[in-house]
Amino acid sequence: MTTTAAAPEAALGVLPRADGSANYSHAGYTVTGSVNGPIEAQRRDEHAYEAHVDVVIRPAAGVGGTRERHLESILQSSLTQLILVKNFPRCLVQIVLQVEDSPENDYVNTKLVQASLNFAIMPALMQTAVLALLSAGVPMRATATATAIAVMRQEEGAPTLVVDPSTRAIETAQSAHVLAFTSHGGLLLAESEGDFTVKEWDSVYDTAREICCRSAPTKEGMEMVLDEEATRGPDMRQFLQSTMEAKVAKDLHWK
Amino acid sequence: MPREVDPSLNEKQFVTQALEENLRLDGREFDQYRPLELTFGEQYGVADVTLGKTRILAKATAEVTVPYADRPLDGIFTIATELSPMTSPSFEVNRPTETEVLLSRLLEKTVRRSGALDTESLCLVAGQKCWSVRVDVHALSHDGNLTDAACLAVVAALRHFRKPDTSMDAGVLTVYTPAEREPVPLSWLHSPFCVTWSFFGEEGETAVLDATWLEEQVRVGSCTVSLNRHGEICQIAKLGGTPVNAVVLLQCTGVALAKVKEFDELVDRRLTEDLKRRDKGGFMAELRAENDR
Repeated sequence: MTTTAAAPEAALGVLPRADGSANYSHAGYTVTGSVNGPIEAQRRDEHAYEAHVDVVIRPAAGVGGTRERHLESILQSSLTQLILVKNFPRCLVQIVLQVEDSPENDYVNTKLVQASLNFAIMPALMQTAVLALLSAGVPMRATATATAIAVMRQEEGAPTLVVDPSTRAIETAQSAHVLAFTSHGGLLLAESEGDFTVKEWDSVYDTAREICCRSAPTKEGMEMVLDEEATRGPDMRQFLQSTMEAKVAKDLHWK
Repeated sequence: MPREVDPSLNEKQFVTQALEENLRLDGREFDQYRPLELTFGEQYGVADVTLGKTRILAKATAEVTVPYADRPLDGIFTIATELSPMTSPSFEVNRPTETEVLLSRLLEKTVRRSGALDTESLCLVAGQKCWSVRVDVHALSHDGNLTDAACLAVVAALRHFRKPDTSMDAGVLTVYTPAEREPVPLSWLHSPFCVTWSFFGEEGETAVLDATWLEEQVRVGSCTVSLNRHGEICQIAKLGGTPVNAVVLLQCTGVALAKVKEFDELVDRRLTEDLKRRDKGGFMAELRAENDR
């Protein structure tokens, strides 16, 4: 298993007018998300027993197309699972995710007027949405963490897994997977692209689970922690927790 | 979608009365802008403008397309302004509001029609291939004066932008990827900026620069002047029904010129700073040239 990217970064409450907002950057992707809700729903979106979750993904350049709509529908269904929608009948929770930056491939000139979002942006979108929802104080069943993994098949021997693959790695990879887990450790989302075997998927699942739902680190010594970071890759749950802790500590500074 | 909340009668009266007494709610002078900040992204052509609580992100991109049949010698230049529900929940996706239409019209007139970008330089093969430059304006947060901030962001993004290098060799057009050749800047002719005045009072006698959202909701009219630092006016748009005294308008354009010079200086300064920051990396790239060539 190899990791290519630095630790994720996040800021909460970056937009003054939205109910909740977050800025998240990891593996070259930067996404700003805003959440407004619960607000009045339009007649066509109104549901008598639960809140409607509306996800809007806006690419940094160009017009959004089918790919964006597809990502929106995936995110919408997984976030509906998390948000306690039954608490707000006839309401709307509006999540807007604005992509600010995505890694560019220096080796190709891309078509840009029709934006086509990469598959690997999903974890960044998911994390931003969860952080923005937390920032807005929308009641949720659990939080979620997500990661992207690419399977690179070698000529011989076992395939290698690349966590948070670059655009170039995705192009050359045999298959790419995006997995999201709830904070209770349940699998929330599993999207795959390319050819892979069940055995490969199992190893992807194990790796993703390791990244997304590792239990709190045992603080036995500095070396231990450093060592762990190097060998076991990023720890998304810990990251989410520490971000929220920092934000709460800052907000309650006056107390 | 929920409607934007109008300020209450008390709020309105409070703002107008304060303005009559020469006071603004945030303690600014009438001709003073809120703190203006401009930053560039990691990629070329990304500009982030913060004006008080208003925040605009502009991103410029380019691709090779076929030119319009009636203009075979011109490239294509578009500015896309689409306000998302992120700006305010009252904006709906794919349903332009009046704010959005006005904003895109003003940007179009200021940047595109004033010939700030030389579209002829975007032509590659007459009638067959040209560059299409597109600027996407994203309003992340709206606290008044979207126009000025958006215009500044668009101009800054375009001046920061680099398009891929091309070459023509015996009728064969080659577009080099960033890995092969360093991208080149656009041919930029002049930098127009918008300055928006808001008018208050029965006869629009109080003129205020850089109105906040609350002030925008209370104002009786507004006037957007677009000009460059040489004082060449690109357009003037006077909106709102209340007529304004010609002398007031003349004074406004005078102050606008001073503000535009400040904007121009700011963009120049930030561009040189950014160039310096990148040059460090460029020097490093020179040292290990065998990798990139």
